[in-house]
Amino acid sequence: MASLSEEVLLVVKRVRQRKQDGTLYLMAERLAWGPEGKDRFTVSHLYADIRCQKISPDGKAKIQLQLVLHTGESTTFHFANESTALKDRDVAKELLQQLLPKFKKKANKELEEKNRMLQEDPVLFQLYKDLVVSQVISAEEFWANRLSLNSVEHSLSNNNKQEVGISAAFLADIRPQTDGCNGLRYNLTTDIIESIFRTYPTVKQKYAENVPHNMTEKEFWTRFFQSHYFHRDRINTGLQDIFSECAKEDEKGLKSMVTQGVKNPMVDLLSLEDKTLDEGYGTATVPTTSNSSNKSLRENSNSAIIKRFNHHSAMVLAAGLRKRHQILTSLFVAFQVKLQEAIEYDDLQGDSGRKTISLNLKKSDRYSHGPIPLQSQHYSTSQDIINSISIIQHEMRSYKPRLTQVMSSSAASSAITALSPGGVLMQGGGQQTINQLVPTDVQSELKHLYTAAGELLRHFWSCFPISTPFLEEKLTGHLEEMLQAAYNKFQAWQTRRMMRKT
Amino acid sequence: MKLNIDGLLVYFPYEYIYPEQYSYMLELKRTLDAKGHGVLEMPSGTGKTICLLSLIVAYQKAYPLEVTKLVYCSRTVPEIEKVVEELRKLMDYYAKQTEAKNDFLALALSSRKNLCIHPEVSALRFGKEVDGKCHSLTASYIRAQHRSNPSQPVCQFYEEFDAVGRQVPIPPGIYNLNDLKDFGRRKGWCPYFLARYAILHANIVVYSYHYLLDPKIADLVSKELAKKSVVVFDEAHNIDNVCIDSMSVNITRRTLDRCQTNVETLQNTISRIKETDAAKLQEEYRRLVEGLKEANVARETDMYLSNPVLPDDILQEAVPGSIRTAEHFVGFMKRFLEYLKARLRIHHVVQESTPQFLKDIYEKVCIDRKPLRFCAERLRSLLRTLEIADITDFSAITLISHFATLVSTYSKGFTIIIEPFEDRTPTIANPVLHFSCMDPSIAIKPVFGRFQSVIITSGTLSPLDIYPRILDFRPVTVASFTMTLARTCLCPLIVGRGNDQVAMTSKFETREDFAVIRNYGNLLLEMSAIVPDGIVAFFTSYIYMENIVASWYEQGILENIQRNKLIFIETQDAAETSMALEKYQEACENGRGAILLSVARGKVSEGIDFVHHYGRAVIMFGVPYVYTQSRILKARLEYLRDQFQIRENDFLTFDAMRHAAQCVGRAIRGKTDYGLMIFADKRYARADKRGKLPRWIQEHLTDGSLNLTIDETVQLGKQFLRQMAQPFRQEDQLGLSLLTLEQLQSEDMLQKIAQIAQQA
Repeated sequence: MASLSEEVLLVVKRVRQRKQDGTLYLMAERLAWGPEGKDRFTVSHLYADIRCQKISPDGKAKIQLQLVLHTGESTTFHFANESTALKDRDVAKELLQQLLPKFKKKANKELEEKNRMLQEDPVLFQLYKDLVVSQVISAEEFWANRLSLNSVEHSLSNNNKQEVGISAAFLADIRPQTDGCNGLRYNLTTDIIESIFRTYPTVKQKYAENVPHNMTEKEFWTRFFQSHYFHRDRINTGLQDIFSECAKEDEKGLKSMVTQGVKNPMVDLLSLEDKTLDEGYGTATVPTTSNSSNKSLRENSNSAIIKRFNHHSAMVLAAGLRKRHQILTSLFVAFQVKLQEAIEYDDLQGDSGRKTISLNLKKSDRYSHGPIPLQSQHYSTSQDIINSISIIQHEMRSYKPRLTQVMSSSAASSAITALSPGGVLMQGGGQQTINQLVPTDVQSELKHLYTAAGELLRHFWSCFPISTPFLEEKLTGHLEEMLQAAYNKFQAWQTRRMMRKT
Repeated sequence: MKLNIDGLLVYFPYEYIYPEQYSYMLELKRTLDAKGHGVLEMPSGTGKTICLLSLIVAYQKAYPLEVTKLVYCSRTVPEIEKVVEELRKLMDYYAKQTEAKNDFLALALSSRKNLCIHPEVSALRFGKEVDGKCHSLTASYIRAQHRSNPSQPVCQFYEEFDAVGRQVPIPPGIYNLNDLKDFGRRKGWCPYFLARYAILHANIVVYSYHYLLDPKIADLVSKELAKKSVVVFDEAHNIDNVCIDSMSVNITRRTLDRCQTNVETLQNTISRIKETDAAKLQEEYRRLVEGLKEANVARETDMYLSNPVLPDDILQEAVPGSIRTAEHFVGFMKRFLEYLKARLRIHHVVQESTPQFLKDIYEKVCIDRKPLRFCAERLRSLLRTLEIADITDFSAITLISHFATLVSTYSKGFTIIIEPFEDRTPTIANPVLHFSCMDPSIAIKPVFGRFQSVIITSGTLSPLDIYPRILDFRPVTVASFTMTLARTCLCPLIVGRGNDQVAMTSKFETREDFAVIRNYGNLLLEMSAIVPDGIVAFFTSYIYMENIVASWYEQGILENIQRNKLIFIETQDAAETSMALEKYQEACENGRGAILLSVARGKVSEGIDFVHHYGRAVIMFGVPYVYTQSRILKARLEYLRDQFQIRENDFLTFDAMRHAAQCVGRAIRGKTDYGLMIFADKRYARADKRGKLPRWIQEHLTDGSLNLTIDETVQLGKQFLRQMAQPFRQEDQLGLSLLTLEQLQSEDMLQKIAQIAQQA
């Protein structure tokens, strides 16, 4: 397992895992840990499998690093070298921080999708176990058919899952608390950080640039809160402030948004007026040419606030609509539609064709058939029952045994045994269903075999008509083998059952 | 449905009708019958436009000799296009009902920017650039040069139009701006000049106010419109300001500097031409001796701004000798320029009347009144003679010449104010000469005089009697119509105090008061929690909004509002505001909800509607009085008092209330719409303010909602919104605020309808 030809990026000694001393290796594609004195790894994780890393808070006695895998398992490493533990951990953490995102992108989206499907559908999971794990069919083939089958449906359901928007007041939610000695404490949660990143991509970029090379995460956020950028009423002047660039970027973004213009001509204030007055006409006071110089500082900061609010709101809105479908109707058509909407009086129109939303049915047969109505049964009314009871009572009253025609006692007792459970006549009776006869484990096994065979048959039939050489090869080659394998499996199971029975 | 309006068969392209629409058409019919002018107020969203169109078209069809043309003026380009679309609907209905082919020609006219199809010219962004470029390709002498020198570029669309477009009339139909462009592209004709030519024989013309009211443009475009036209000014609540703006001139030091350069260029060109082509100048001189009356065949494309003076008498006279030769005229302009420069070199404010100014100019530099009057005309002639291609460069000297003509023509109704610096910044010298028109009737007078019926209509024209007074005309009908409602879908509330009982007002003395600002903030915060989707809030001025937003930010109020809704704010930059507006609508659309902070009298308050969920509540913070310290306003108030016997306070309140009504009226656009209207100032409760609101708002203002606290407002608002959110079906309206033809014809309904119109 441990092929030592891999490139080793970092070796940290004296790292404990499950109370065992050992060495942590960070390699090009995976992370591994081996106990001291042995030359094999007991822990080995591909970076692609790691979801995230967590570290123990500063000031804790134990200096630890925890890796959380996609499967949900986690592995904790305890850095035990007293003198350099903290440093070791940070080095490892930062290296991981750089490595993980690279692999994260690689981490197959499809894989997650498959994983999710298997988790959501136990039958599928069982099928997977039967066919793939037992190597009847290869994983690719299993999925090749499945994904295409489900992709439409799933992509639908995926898109329907709305992305959670961002609260407009997320910055306000970071309530600073005084820490008692003239300082402020900001509590950042991952949600808020995510909000900041999504709303202000420039900050994210800065973060990526500076953390962890130039400063720690903590330092970054401290600077962020100290920056003029965060306090939006200030006009940024400090050049050493790393966020002054962000502000400039934002300004640029805002400008480009403005110059792009608006898509809806009904709200385009620039083209609203047909003929503007020429310069020099009119009573409106002429805007002075040198506007920045004679505006007071306060006015400047006020208009900066207004700009920032507009920008902030626009960004929050955009973050919520990131994956919006760009409906590329031409401007002209959009305008015509708007115009028609604007002159519409729906109450004056007679049968205003109510705009209806078409029903989106995933399984139309279920809709058209609906819940199947109960079979019409013959019910006896209570009157019937009463009548029949009274008839029986009446007959019982006038009952007289005809002793001459009585059966012999031996014949009667044999008839009773034949009719009681386990008797000859009671065997194979329609009343006793197979699921009472067969034990559940056998049933489930049979069911699995059945679905597996069914799946194979589905594969088989899906090959027709044979249009490509690949299909032909699949059919004549391994599908036949697979069916054979499945048949053999069934045979094996049958004989096993028979053996057990006898 | 087919209606019988006082004996006239009117096709109305809907199956149902609002009672007030019927009533409106009755009044309109009476006005047309009397061949007089009318002032009609009906709430927006009750289908004014379709009433106007239906009735006037029917009238035109019934009495083709009485009314030959409908000139429909609206304010913004989208409005114009909306009108044409409604007209299209009406004409489709006509075609369906009568099964006759439509023989009406109706078209929209807009500036070159919206109509040009020349690939290079139409790519330009600003209207002025388009105009200038167009001119440099279509001016008469450019085309003359092209004939001798084919390498001189011209616009092939105009050439094509000029060659054949005039002979073949444009086929009947409804042409919106885009239809004109399509038609132009198909034929290879210039849509702009096609439209300008076609309006002369079109049955219906839809264009913006300026084409009639701005004398500089009106003279070019609308001069030949028939007298038997009906002119409609829709959304006319601001018509007086449009009139005043088109007649007022501001001159800064920068204007004068640029004018100086213009004069020098002219001088150089003249001396150059004198050497090469002296005959040309001679020819001009000869023409000027003969008078200005000469027919200008080439004038259509030579868009030297036409004379701002309306009286025709001046055109009968010959240009006075002192400015007849080109050099003399340039020398004259130089002198005038120097004089203006000297006037701007002052250290105190000067205000004088036009006669005083003329007297002073005569004494100082010996400039007579008569040559001044001919300045604009003379300059135009000179520019044409010199074949100046790009006249946009000469805007400064054109402005000065217009000023000269105006100042020497009108002895009344104008004032001259010279301010050495802005009031806010007394240390920075920035002298401005305001030549300000105070009498809106000057610009609109020729319209009233020329056309047989002029209809002034809007959703907010209250108090109705003031418009005839300030525009100086005698209407035959003055009426206000209310909105019949099956459910009260508007809810005006006057919030007078905060929860702490401190009075809320934007009165100058208390507007910076901390408690007032906080209470305003709390009101907005509380409303943001209960109102779904969009809220629009208007402030009295931009600076006031800036200050309030800053202090709300400091107090953390905005942060709390952000928890409920996104915040967008109007800025002084139109492009930025457009973006904010679009995002605002987007946020309303996707359910997030948003607040738009805006300014009364701003562009948003004038031109943007907030229908349905785009505006479920409008909050008017304070009373939007105009900035009363301005000298121009003071002069105008004085003039109004002296000439029209309108008291200063009356006018100011009227002006403030019409803007307030405009702002809050933005939220209601029809009977299925609903919205809260919150007036956040205790002064609204006073009878003199309240009484100036339009009747359709006043009606719903109960005594109980005159001086509310924030809490009470929230309670009332909640209740109202919950009620309104219930499904509202057509059946609920039918018979009350929506009528079928049978219902309309019933006797008692007709009686009821008679009460809708309130004659002023």
